[in-house]
Amino acid sequence: MFDFSWNMLSYFPPGISTYSEAHDDLFALVYWVSVGIFMLVQIVLVTFIFKYRHRPGHKSYHYHGNNVVEFTWTLAPTILFAGLGLYSDEMWKIMKYSSRIPTPDVEIDVVGQAFNWHARYPGADGILGKRHARYRTATNLFGIDPTDARGKDDIVLTGEFNLPVNKNVVVHLSSVDVLHSYFLPNFRIKQDAVPGSWIDVWFNGTKTGKYELACAELCGSGHYAMRAVLNMQADADFAKWMDAKNAAKKIILDAEAANPKPVEAAAAPAPAAHGEGGHH
Amino acid sequence: MEAAVLTHEHGHAVAHAADHTHEHHEPSFIRKYLFSTDHKTIAKQFLTTSMFFLLVGGAFALFIRWQLAYPGEPIPIIGSWLPDSLVSNGAIQPGFYTQLVTMHATVMIFFVIIPMATGAFANFCIPLMIGTDDMAMPIVNMMSFWLVPVAGLTIMAGFFVEGGTAAAGWTNYPPLSASGMGHTLWVIGVFLVGFSSILGGMNYVTTVLNKRAKGMRMFDMPMTVWALFITAILQTLGTPVLAADAVLLFVDQVFHAGIFIPENLLTPNGGLFPNGANVGTGGGGQPVLWQHLFWFYSHPAVYIMILPIMGVVSDVLATFARKPIYGYKAMVFAIMAIAFLGFVVWGHHMFLSGMSPLLGTTFMLSTIVIAVPSSIKIFNWLGTIWRGDIHFTTPNLNALGFISTFVCGGLSGVFMAIGPIDVYIHDTYFIVAHIHYVLFGGALFGIFAGIYYWFPKMFGKMYNESMGKFHFVTTFITFNLCFFPMHMIGVGGHMRRIHDPYVYEFLKPFQPINQFITIFAILLGFAQLILIFNLIWSVKFGRPAPRNPWRANTLEWAAPAHPGHGNFDRDITVYRGPYEFASPESKRDYLPQWIRPAHVEQETVAKH
Repeated sequence: MFDFSWNMLSYFPPGISTYSEAHDDLFALVYWVSVGIFMLVQIVLVTFIFKYRHRPGHKSYHYHGNNVVEFTWTLAPTILFAGLGLYSDEMWKIMKYSSRIPTPDVEIDVVGQAFNWHARYPGADGILGKRHARYRTATNLFGIDPTDARGKDDIVLTGEFNLPVNKNVVVHLSSVDVLHSYFLPNFRIKQDAVPGSWIDVWFNGTKTGKYELACAELCGSGHYAMRAVLNMQADADFAKWMDAKNAAKKIILDAEAANPKPVEAAAAPAPAAHGEGGHH
Repeated sequence: MEAAVLTHEHGHAVAHAADHTHEHHEPSFIRKYLFSTDHKTIAKQFLTTSMFFLLVGGAFALFIRWQLAYPGEPIPIIGSWLPDSLVSNGAIQPGFYTQLVTMHATVMIFFVIIPMATGAFANFCIPLMIGTDDMAMPIVNMMSFWLVPVAGLTIMAGFFVEGGTAAAGWTNYPPLSASGMGHTLWVIGVFLVGFSSILGGMNYVTTVLNKRAKGMRMFDMPMTVWALFITAILQTLGTPVLAADAVLLFVDQVFHAGIFIPENLLTPNGGLFPNGANVGTGGGGQPVLWQHLFWFYSHPAVYIMILPIMGVVSDVLATFARKPIYGYKAMVFAIMAIAFLGFVVWGHHMFLSGMSPLLGTTFMLSTIVIAVPSSIKIFNWLGTIWRGDIHFTTPNLNALGFISTFVCGGLSGVFMAIGPIDVYIHDTYFIVAHIHYVLFGGALFGIFAGIYYWFPKMFGKMYNESMGKFHFVTTFITFNLCFFPMHMIGVGGHMRRIHDPYVYEFLKPFQPINQFITIFAILLGFAQLILIFNLIWSVKFGRPAPRNPWRANTLEWAAPAHPGHGNFDRDITVYRGPYEFASPESKRDYLPQWIRPAHVEQETVAKH
């Protein structure tokens, strides 16, 4: 026998963002309103079916309706549903309005690529270098501008990312091929990754641990396996992890500075006009 | 004086039938069954084609369910028949899975529900229920049907081309859908089936406006005709936008125009996506444009699929509760309101598309307001059966089942109307549960009600009532056990369109629920064979139907039991509204629209 509960609300995965609780409460409100209306209609329906079933000699009531009743049952749902909509708008603004995104403590770029998630961290200088689609190639997925020095130390990771808890994280989200959707069930976040656009997503995680990042928009045959892990760490642990990544990157950068790279033929797919995008 | 009425009817029948023998020769088989311009034959063609596609789409669904319940295990029996490009050792491959989810929805929406609701019912009901001989444009009507199998074959041909059939979901979002022969065939097929819908729609509007029987005002029309009329307006206004969208995507696929393709897009193998905008610098297209145009049609399309059914259910409920529709005009205005609002809510499919959140607020409010006319309809249906004399025939059981499930589908819609909640449940099984409660629990139960209700007039035979009831009970139970648990795994975060959910730790606990759903999906699928068997058996062996088996009031029941080309065997004049059940004017519990007041007075006198 499996874990089965009639209470739909019990199926939510544990919420661990600053607004997951408010989200779940809003869901619960809509849920209980719906359950109430559902039960009411079903009970009335079953009662009528039983009470007014055909019996010999029974005749129905010739009646075409009543405008006062019509008016009442138009007004009541209007107030209820419009009220629900207006009430929910605040939550919507918190999640999506760019004016409501808090000052970021950590900013990263994330792109989807069939069938992986990649993230770009700002590196030792703490600043994400400039990027543009014209620099994008198979080896420079973020389109990092090779002429911008601040982009040199940026760190690109695939499939497993670390972020600190109790910090405002802003993710600049895009895609390099088809539509993907950035879904963090525990954070109650989902946002389409749209090629050609950068969309901001923000959250503030409250609990350490490993959480799954899923793709929620059909992106091809491997869509089902486009999974990544988000490792939420205490602030000090995250700083240590970041330092280690920066140190490793520095060794590579120093080595490149000592021995300038030979001309790469590997970046061939880039068209001639944008050839410089393949080297960084 | 009932006898007097009947004698009068009979006299007309004989005279008219005599006229006909002079005018017509028996048409050839091809003219009669294949290229017929008779609206009833075209309705039957739509019905049989949709029934065929219902089985195809249902089979796709069962493959999907098998994979979700038992991923990697060979499909029983059928698995060994499929080629290695689709299955490995009989188990569904990921690529085939995405084709299945795409084709299941494409077939069910474009080739089952829409042709059934607007093709079969509009064709059969409109001329008969407004008391005329045929559609305004019979040849256009015939073309409208023949585009459907052509479109269906075009899309199905995708299974035999390189790369397989369309696999980007029924919403076919680019850039994923912007390459591959299968996607091009999909776009052509959808354009053709959309053209069928436009031709049908303009024909229905013209027919309703111009060909109503003498004395029939707009507000004397049955709810089915009202609903089909308003749906036809939706079809003519909405479908051209889908057609335009399809053409744009076709131009992208074939000529690499880059309308939906942004600059420097990568292909899965790391190369550059062919796109005119790559040549210059900057520029490039916008994938979200497809979504705006697509949903501008496809949200109204949801109402194209449900409004006709609401009309059918209203007629069936009134007839079997032996009671006038509660709030007839309110019901008509509610349909108009739903149709109008349907055009200003498409953005709720795009809360996550990256469009301005300010638009999100607007679409959230416009969408949630649709719950109001929908509530009005539910309340009026309950008002209709209130103090009625309810007969539990198969059509009525399906209509009552419709109310029960549609309430659930409507309420789960409120969740996705609310933007912040939609963020979480978008693209999860909660949505899958919702659309199936609306399109199966709503549309399909209503379609079943309509098929059983008009079967006697369509084929001149009665269907088998016991088999019909058995079909309803099994369908109703298995439907709910199949689709209700999907809400729960949806709240659990279970994404849709994933080949193997269990690569995710947080979805592993849901496998038993998926298996439970699959068992009832299989039972639900096989229960539909009862319907098919009943229909085929009854066409052949059913007992002959009387002219008006349900003692209903609307004009189709004035036609002969199995009407021929031209429909009516006498002149039809309308004297009253369509729902005069239990009228004090008549001693019977119904008073058809076509009975002359003089005859009614005789009856009333007789009663006193």
